[in-house]
Amino acid sequence: MRHEAESITPQKAANFVRAIAARRDREAFKQLFNFYAPRIKTMLMRGGAAGEIAEDLAQETLITVWRKADGYDPQRAAVSAWIFTIARNLRIDRFRKDQRAQLHHVYELMLPAAEDPPDVPFEAAERESRVRAALEGLPEDQVRVVELSFFEGNAHGDIAKKLGIPLGTVKSRLRLAMARLRDFLGENS
Amino acid sequence: MTIAHHPDEEALAAFAAGTLDEPRSVVVAAHVALCPHCRAIVAACEQVGGALVEQAAPATPRAGALDEALARLDEAAPPSMVVREAAPDCPAVLAPYEVGRWRWIGPGVHWRKVEVPESEGTRVFMLKAAPGSSLPHHGHSGVEWTCVLQGAFSHDLGRYGPGDFDAADNTVDHTPFVEEGNTCICLVAMQGDLELRGWLGKLMQPFVRL
Repeated sequence: MRHEAESITPQKAANFVRAIAARRDREAFKQLFNFYAPRIKTMLMRGGAAGEIAEDLAQETLITVWRKADGYDPQRAAVSAWIFTIARNLRIDRFRKDQRAQLHHVYELMLPAAEDPPDVPFEAAERESRVRAALEGLPEDQVRVVELSFFEGNAHGDIAKKLGIPLGTVKSRLRLAMARLRDFLGENS
Repeated sequence: MTIAHHPDEEALAAFAAGTLDEPRSVVVAAHVALCPHCRAIVAACEQVGGALVEQAAPATPRAGALDEALARLDEAAPPSMVVREAAPDCPAVLAPYEVGRWRWIGPGVHWRKVEVPESEGTRVFMLKAAPGSSLPHHGHSGVEWTCVLQGAFSHDLGRYGPGDFDAADNTVDHTPFVEEGNTCICLVAMQGDLELRGWLGKLMQPFVRL
């Protein structure tokens, strides 16, 4: 049995999720698990979680993928983005000081009902490749801030401390990265 | 609905990354729920997160990780996280939270608490102001983020109608004026205390501090 998947195309990932939704396909689950669980673990550890906690949350993320597969909508998000949001929500739950935190529900409640038309100008798969292209062209200092924020889950103030730069610089780097992202997404507002 | 005022991009990015505190996230979410433009930005940010996950170097899983997960697949899901319906006059994003009763705090103005756990002195509440009324003239000791749910108000920086998002900080000292026609209802995350001015402010201060 292979324990590491080399890579997984967005299309393949979507097919695996569909296979889980349609027929509880365990082979598809294995593929997704082998690729995503170790990477989610990296993300959580880089954000400061101990190895065992990161491992547990990565497992929980993929179990959630299994349970919610039939609610996945390829029009709205690529599988990678969907899995990121699941892990993000679990991270929020796990590390909030206040255990009453309900924020993970808020992220779901703000989305339009499933039957409403998606409001993105193009399909999620297209967005996926454009975002990837935008990230590739970013200067190193902006990439670092984007990683510290999205991947490691640091608040902007903590990023400033970690990098030893003013908060305003963190924000302006992020703003530049966002502007580039917007260019690639063809947004002009 | 034409939305003219949006959260800035750092706020949307922090929200998508899951690093914004809960009170401010709730107000941003109320706006995002009404704003396709910002939903697209949040979705793009989440895709950034997804791309970073894919590019990450895989950590070494603990021995038997996959088998452990496979063994859990037949487990019954935990009792589904039941989220109540939001109260009839509340946006859907408030469904998880208890909401207090409307309380009179001044002529034409009502206030109700939203039980979002406080974070570094930031609290969430709703304000309801009658058409043609003035919200109390006030300054801020910290940030104040507002999403208009219904009606409209204006102040020095423009007109704010349904869905509009207003971020004020301690440099802003203003008197929002509520438009004629519709009762104005806002969802607010406010850090620190409102610094109320004038006799009306003095009257309201003890209530708003609650």
